[in-house]
Amino acid sequence: MTTTAATTRTIVTGSAADFRPRRAGSRNREQLVSWAFLAPFLIAFALFLVWPIIHGIILSFTDQSLTGAGGAFVGFANYAEALTDPVMWQSMGNTVWFTLLSTVPLVVIALLMAALVDRGLPGQWLWRLSFFMPYLLASTVISQIWVWIFNPQIGAANNILKFFGLEPLAWLQNPETNMLSIVIATVWWTVGFNFLLYLAAMQNIPSQQYEAASLDGAGPWRQFWSITLPQLGPATVLILILQILASLKLFDQAYQMLGGVASDTTRSIVQYIYEAGFVSYRFGYSAAISYVFFALIVVIGVAQALVSRRRKEQQ
Amino acid sequence: MTPPLDLSRRQFLTAASLAAGTVLLAGCAPGAVAGSRTETLQFWHLLSGGDGVTMSSLLDQVNSAQSAFRIRPTVLAWGTPYYTKLAMAGAGGRAPDVAIMHATRTVGWAPGGLLDTWDLDRLAALGVDASTFPTPIWEKGFVGENMYSVALDAHPFVAMFNTEICDAAGVLDSDGRLQETSSPEEFLDQLRTIGGSAEGHALSYGYLGDGAQMWRLFYGLYAQHGLAIELPVGGKAVIDKDAAVESLTFMQTLLDGEIAAAQADYGGAVAEFATGKSGMLFTGVWELRTMQNAKLPFDATMIPTLYGTPAVYADSHSFVLPHQTNADPVRRDLTYQFVADMLKGSFGWAEAGHIPAFLPVTSSPAYADLIPQAHYAEAAEHVVYDPTAWFTGSGSNFQSEFGAAVQGVLLSGDDPAAAIDRFETRVNTLLRQPNPADPEGTWKP
Repeated sequence: MTTTAATTRTIVTGSAADFRPRRAGSRNREQLVSWAFLAPFLIAFALFLVWPIIHGIILSFTDQSLTGAGGAFVGFANYAEALTDPVMWQSMGNTVWFTLLSTVPLVVIALLMAALVDRGLPGQWLWRLSFFMPYLLASTVISQIWVWIFNPQIGAANNILKFFGLEPLAWLQNPETNMLSIVIATVWWTVGFNFLLYLAAMQNIPSQQYEAASLDGAGPWRQFWSITLPQLGPATVLILILQILASLKLFDQAYQMLGGVASDTTRSIVQYIYEAGFVSYRFGYSAAISYVFFALIVVIGVAQALVSRRRKEQQ
Repeated sequence: MTPPLDLSRRQFLTAASLAAGTVLLAGCAPGAVAGSRTETLQFWHLLSGGDGVTMSSLLDQVNSAQSAFRIRPTVLAWGTPYYTKLAMAGAGGRAPDVAIMHATRTVGWAPGGLLDTWDLDRLAALGVDASTFPTPIWEKGFVGENMYSVALDAHPFVAMFNTEICDAAGVLDSDGRLQETSSPEEFLDQLRTIGGSAEGHALSYGYLGDGAQMWRLFYGLYAQHGLAIELPVGGKAVIDKDAAVESLTFMQTLLDGEIAAAQADYGGAVAEFATGKSGMLFTGVWELRTMQNAKLPFDATMIPTLYGTPAVYADSHSFVLPHQTNADPVRRDLTYQFVADMLKGSFGWAEAGHIPAFLPVTSSPAYADLIPQAHYAEAAEHVVYDPTAWFTGSGSNFQSEFGAAVQGVLLSGDDPAAAIDRFETRVNTLLRQPNPADPEGTWKP
């Protein structure tokens, strides 16, 4: 009882203090302190995000060069050139193609790996480590590894083909296989992240559901299809969105695996932006292509939001 | 009477911070060596690996020979990263005192004022003038009337050959040099003969994913027709289709899987030759040290003249003066001295395989004894550089574009004529674009 009375008194005292009228100066000081705490973030946000976005838009309307020359206002000339530039569209197409090719295996393989580790395989820590470890490597390292594997003369990939009596391939140089080679390397490199997300989602599924299903006579496959997969819906949506955004940013591994060589079948839009700005020194044009690409991402984002909203409404 | 120093704590701290800052900044200033008259000159270059080691020893030599200046080199990764950084330094007007550039890249930079011009009289006073350089190499230093680069060397694309394999094949003359061939058929016959004595292929030539490698051989062969590709500003590329197709078809013939591997990259080709498996290697002179280190019995020569006119594809590492807004006259003078010293001491550079541009070095008796360097020294008289345009040159996208257009011909047997058309279309697109160093097109050489 004593405890309750004391608590009540405390609350009452506290409430009275809250309703006590404050001086305007004290409120201002509190606001000032809040802004002071926020300031570092706001300054960084404005300097490194807001200003570059605005500056990029301004640049895209000029003929600014990396060499310091130019800078004259050219209206929509850069955008007009970008929209009629076959290399820009080819690069955009390559990027979308890579996204399609890589997203499916990156989701499916990650799901299978997570399912195996979660339910089937002994020594989980070893599998978790093995599957996730490539993700920790830098793009330069994985590029070097896969350049060796795909080497037409001494690479492991062709040795495997030869073992099966097949003709060796110029994996990275042949236009018919170079994008596939980059997809294979990328899947090996990044699937670990999706695997971890799936594994975390799977481990959140209550074990009682599996026990109940088991009592009802459901085998491992039935449990996977009827319990695991449906419950992974939100995780799958998240992984898909993250994966599409990551794949659209294709650049470093492709650039390094091909030695920086411009290839009609693998040049991504980010590489073309880089080439326009830092190889051809055309900053204005490079900025314009960036905003065309930005528009594509916005379209994909809006489409994804519409699909999600529709799904929710149906549910 | 001096008034007493009456400072508040805050004023004192402010004054102390300012003083400390000033001292620190003074320490950062280039060449700020207390009590010393030695100027430190900043030198950027792109030479790594064996070339980097050689350059480093040349700089040590120059540094130790005098006390007026010390060279502080900064080595950056070659290709786009190097040129981007150098361009930005020049655009900011606070560039290094001197830098190395490929001679073929200067034409894209001169209009934007990224480079300062060389004073011919000051160079001549130091013993550097047209008479001390092979004509094509000296002339390549000019953009319009002004000189923008002073060549240290020419580094041509050459043929190295394994003397044991070639001797066994009977294709060496009495001096142990490769027998001369003067037509594609003769050369192909020679290669087939060599192939009979080689464990691997007759010829190693790596090209996969390497536009520069494809371009180096192609343009040398094209120029042997007595032609040059012209890229007029704002116009269309002038390419002799017959000569281009003939040259590319010849390259396709070499890569038949018998004479040379149909699928070989640069590293694979160098490794095949360096391990003594093939009889000949098409490569740049910069691989000389690799072969010497491999203890290979080899010699080198110009790529044979197959179409009538001696011509070898090459570029030159050249000294340039990146633009400085307020160039210090004393340091500028010392920079001229440094370049002259480097040219005169470029025998060491020849040991790395490059052909020194400075004639007194290549005409010296010591150079004549430098084998195999002396065996391809005449290439300096027949060098052919990239066609002149703002987008061409070593490490440029132009060579990558060439590779992208023609790789299918070499790899999968695509039609050479269609590949040349593809390349021409791409070059014409580049020609329509303004020079980013002069987007308004106001600069006149």
